[in-house]
Amino acid sequence: MFGVGARVRRKEDDRLLRGRGRFVADIALVGMRELAFVRSPVAHARILSFDIPEQVRRQVFTWQDLEPAGVRPIRAASGLPGFKVSEQPPLAADKVRFAGEPIAVTVAATRAEAEDIASQVIAEFDELPPNVDMLAAAAPGAPCVHEHWSDNIFLETRVGQSFEKDVAAAPVRISRSIRTQRQCIVPLEGKGLVAHWDRQAEQLVLYTATQMPHIVRSGLSECLGLPLEAIRVIAPDVGGGFGWKGLLQPEEVVAAWLCLHLGCPLRWMEDRREHLVAAANAREHHYEITAYADADGRLLGVDADAWVDAGAYSIYPFSACLEAAQVGSILPGPYDFPHYRCRTFSVCTNKPPIVPFRGVARANVCFAMEQIIDAIAAAVGREAWEVRLLNLVPPEKMPFDNITGKHFDSGDYPESLRRAVAGIDLASVRRRQLQGEPDGRLVGVGFATYCEQGAHGTAVYHGWGIPMVPGYEQVQARITADGGLELRAGIQSHGQGMETSFAQVAHEVLGIPLERIRLVHGDTGLTPYSTGTWGSRSMVMAGGAVATACRRLADRLRRIAAHLLQARLEDVTLSGGMLQSGQADITIAEIARTWYLAPQLLPADVDPGGLEITAGYKPKSDHGTFSYATHAAVVAVDAEVGLVEILDYLVVEDAGTMVNPAIVEGQIFGGVAQGIGTALYECSPYDDAGQPMASTLMDYLLPGFTEVPAIRIEHMETPSPYTEFGVKGLGEGGVIAPSAVLCNAINDALKARGAVVTDQPVTPARILAALRNARAEPPP
Amino acid sequence: MSTASPNARLVSLTVNGRPVARLAAPRTHLADFLREGELLTGTHLGCEQGVCGACTLLLDGEPVRGCLAYAVACEGRAVTTIEGLDQDETAARLREAFTAEHALQCGFCTPGMLISARDVVERLPDADDARVRVEMSGNLCRCTGYVGIVKAIRRVLDDRKAG
Amino acid sequence: MKPVDFDYVKPTTLAAAVDLLAQGNGSVKAVAGAQSLGPMLNLRLVQPELLVDVTAIPELLGTREEAERIVIGAGVTHARLEDGDTSERTQAVLAQIASGIAYRAVRNRGTIGGSLAHADPAADWLVCTTALGAELLLVGTAGQRTVSAAEFVVGGFETMLAPDELIVEVRVPRLSAGSRWGYYKLCRKRGEFADASAAVLVDDARGFYRCVIGATSGRPIVLDDSRPLSELAGAAAVAEALSPTALAGDAFAIQVHAAAVRRAVRAATA
Ligand SMILES: Cc1cc2nc3c(=O)[nH]c(=O)nc-3n(C[C@H](O)[C@H](O)[C@H](O)COP(=O)(O)OP(=O)(O)OC[C@H]3O[C@@H](n4cnc5c(N)ncnc54)[C@H](O)[C@@H]3O)c2cc1C
Ligand code: FES
Ligand code: FES
Repeated sequence: MFGVGARVRRKEDDRLLRGRGRFVADIALVGMRELAFVRSPVAHARILSFDIPEQVRRQVFTWQDLEPAGVRPIRAASGLPGFKVSEQPPLAADKVRFAGEPIAVTVAATRAEAEDIASQVIAEFDELPPNVDMLAAAAPGAPCVHEHWSDNIFLETRVGQSFEKDVAAAPVRISRSIRTQRQCIVPLEGKGLVAHWDRQAEQLVLYTATQMPHIVRSGLSECLGLPLEAIRVIAPDVGGGFGWKGLLQPEEVVAAWLCLHLGCPLRWMEDRREHLVAAANAREHHYEITAYADADGRLLGVDADAWVDAGAYSIYPFSACLEAAQVGSILPGPYDFPHYRCRTFSVCTNKPPIVPFRGVARANVCFAMEQIIDAIAAAVGREAWEVRLLNLVPPEKMPFDNITGKHFDSGDYPESLRRAVAGIDLASVRRRQLQGEPDGRLVGVGFATYCEQGAHGTAVYHGWGIPMVPGYEQVQARITADGGLELRAGIQSHGQGMETSFAQVAHEVLGIPLERIRLVHGDTGLTPYSTGTWGSRSMVMAGGAVATACRRLADRLRRIAAHLLQARLEDVTLSGGMLQSGQADITIAEIARTWYLAPQLLPADVDPGGLEITAGYKPKSDHGTFSYATHAAVVAVDAEVGLVEILDYLVVEDAGTMVNPAIVEGQIFGGVAQGIGTALYECSPYDDAGQPMASTLMDYLLPGFTEVPAIRIEHMETPSPYTEFGVKGLGEGGVIAPSAVLCNAINDALKARGAVVTDQPVTPARILAALRNARAEPPP
Repeated sequence: MSTASPNARLVSLTVNGRPVARLAAPRTHLADFLREGELLTGTHLGCEQGVCGACTLLLDGEPVRGCLAYAVACEGRAVTTIEGLDQDETAARLREAFTAEHALQCGFCTPGMLISARDVVERLPDADDARVRVEMSGNLCRCTGYVGIVKAIRRVLDDRKAG
Repeated sequence: MKPVDFDYVKPTTLAAAVDLLAQGNGSVKAVAGAQSLGPMLNLRLVQPELLVDVTAIPELLGTREEAERIVIGAGVTHARLEDGDTSERTQAVLAQIASGIAYRAVRNRGTIGGSLAHADPAADWLVCTTALGAELLLVGTAGQRTVSAAEFVVGGFETMLAPDELIVEVRVPRLSAGSRWGYYKLCRKRGEFADASAAVLVDDARGFYRCVIGATSGRPIVLDDSRPLSELAGAAAVAEALSPTALAGDAFAIQVHAAAVRRAVRAATA
């Protein structure tokens, strides 16, 4: 009822519903001062000098202050051959490489006063030509963002071989240029931190809104030259992350150093303008794809070049190449076809570094690939879903190793598609299209199927050679003297409800009531090492570790129970928090009381580890889990003004065993909403000078209540053969398909007029332009 | 919150039913006044641009943006924050419905959502789902996709009708 | 971001308010609901030394019914107009306009006068009061004057207000019972400023016909009142109307503005 699979209410809700959560901005320390950052107004320039008024000189710090004190630049190399390393001084040294890059920091009693000082700091620049467009930046002769490099390519990767000869006779050949826009991540809470020196613990304590406290600690240690044990990183309640809080921020390094230097607690809260213009960028890709298919629409080969605008620096720990390199390995999606070649380029530009946003690379890849499938279907004159069905990996081939070596663990991909076709009622949409709408709008339907790797294993990350490689995920479990359970995990829950779902897992094993189970997370001082919450991994990895730890505790409990009940070990069972042998029983609480308060009653051979354990966990396969889904949508396009209304949106998904279906659905709803933003609204454009054009939420449009429909979800539940309970990672899934689905649906609506959109976001201007072009060149 | 300014003055308000008088520079908006001065940190700041709605609180019983109301401009008025709605009946029903419908994830938008939702429930008892969405559209959530929030408000509207 | 350190006064008479504005040499700003000024202050796009809060001036606060018109104090909020008596034709139209502005929490503070003075080309009141043939009462240290909403706005975010002048009243001619009103705005997202808008008033009883194009990047464009509405609705006419603006030649803008006009006309003639 409360264990794995139960739709229980969340333990974290009450405090949040009463406004009594504790987010980083809510932390006030005695003597705390506030920081404001001075940011570069230009995209690419040499810094000639600073003009800082004398009366505020002691409240302003630049790299000239940090560097002599031994602060080191942020460095995130990849071990992939040819990777060019960037060094990012947390305050720009002699050069600025994007508009918004921090160049100085100011300290004052309040944020307002720190900003007053920041406005008086004037830097003089010698401006250089900026690299704004990734294709131009990648071309020979472009000015180098990093002078000592030979070009602006962080890394080029190649997957597969040319296969022209093999497809020379292919009846269908589809080529597309596809663009996806630069986005901002925009968790509702921005980044923020409070740094102070704990004199008793002799530790730098950094409260920071992060998804990966342990990794931030490693990064800080590198940049500050402090040993790890002298640093404690604590993530309090965190107001959403989606990747933006999954990296070491330059501001964290600066604040940490400055609090040591000044000897007082410091706070910095990223404001929304900083977030939009200076930091949290993602997802800007360009594709040149050619696909070959037979006359039925069966894929014969895919040949692609992909560029990712990685911005000016390589971020810690994921590096600048993870996104593009992933494109190469995941572009084939859930499909099975014989020939594949892909080149990728991580391009360095004078824009903020990109960050792995939820569904990193997958959302873009799905957008590109699913457009191709629809185009093939159009070419062979079939329904797009039929062409999908023809190419999806069938269930009888599971587990399946795909063309890039991805190991799909389980599931029935075609079934998700068939259910989506039925659930969206394709036949009635087709009828409706024939009838036409009373209001003249054009109705269209679209589909997209994807599969998604979660809980990435050790080998892939070792392969990337970046500063972080996930190994065993550890959890500590402790039964308290009164029979409660404390879990300590190094991941961080910031909306995923892990305080509840981990408790459900522990309850499943030990039967301790949920209200007596508590998760401590996000604190390097209290939890085992973890790479943190990213990549749809926490439930699989840390959840698996919770189960493992609880099972081991159950063994120890049984041993003590056997002694106390005078029973044979093999006769003692644990269920519902009660250990039983025949008629005799004893509660976990009674055993705990014995361990802590009456040790004289314990057996001589009791495990001295007692009722506390740290267990590590990895799935049986290092390839992670593959969840998958088909999304389907019906849209109405107003061809006069280009507005799109989503009439219906259906997700048929399979993420293995669900620990808490409500949380699973919440993740999907939220992901789909973000994907709708990607598809239709969100865009962070830059002008030719490299200036960001969207600096407020008036310009950067987020989908709201009226833009997100009442999304429907149908579950399939194929357990993973490799994980505890068969769970699969799913946190990112929802966001992957919407832009593909909506684009396909819009194109389905526009096809009557011969128009096609290929770039996102699909704005009214793009739709009307496509319609104008279609009118200009009537279909052959 | 800025108090060092020569422009700072005593601002007197009623906050959650309690009189409060505190020195504040005129540039201090209500959300900062409450958060930094009164340690009422339930009013969140998501943009300070008037768009996200995380800072929504009640001014003389009506929802307003805490980031766009300067504390000095609210002299003498009554402010209610999420912390002041512990005993409020509609808010209690909404909290119950929000948790039942999984209408929150990270919880950062939640206080503002509840304030706006309470206004919708009390002002528009007959609202259908489409109207609820329109009326709530000034509050952004980046986590939930709004599905649970709409259901929660629906549940409270229906329950109140049923008596 | 936080605003610069400004001073603040809340005068209770009109005379005191305009005197304060007059002393300021431009570093003084009037403030009403702060729903447009607030974001600009928070972003430091405006850096005043003094804010003069106009929301305690009695002349700005009431709504008055007169035989020929409804007189709305400049400090009346969008929400109050939204909640107006919709059984009366003019008020019903005003309520409908108000209810489409931003979000309730913004409407509870934002005022009709502030909206007009801010003169965002995409603002609802700008387009609608122009189409309704409203007049504004402006008061400054030198006295008062009445201007039509149409002439009040001189460009994007630019009005004919002198630095020491306030909008005190917005006077909306009463619509006759059989009048027809159409307003359409194209917003990519609910509550955000429009990409295109148009308002149409057909009041046969008063012999008043007007079509106004909004969200033009400059002042609202009043289309020639004498042309029949069907002709106004043509894309060519809209393109022509937009030709002196920054949107000239912008195929998208012309297309959506033409559609907005067509839809407003349709709403008014349906
Ligand atoms: C999220 C958001 C969405 C919005 N969406 C819309 C929308 O869809 N449509 C729309 O029309 N508006 C929209 N607005 C703007 C809103 O309508 C504002 O309320 C309005 O524009 C300004 O009114 P105010 O009373 O808040 O003026 P303030 O912000 O106080 O002042 C605005 C300007 O007017 C001046 N001013 C104020 N009162 C007077 C007066 N009586 N005489 C002379 N000058 C004066 C001020 O000096 C200032 O320059 C939105 C605002 C926000 C925050
Ligand atoms: S913080 Fe006030 S609206 Fe976003
Ligand atoms: S629950 Fe996270 S923003 Fe709404």
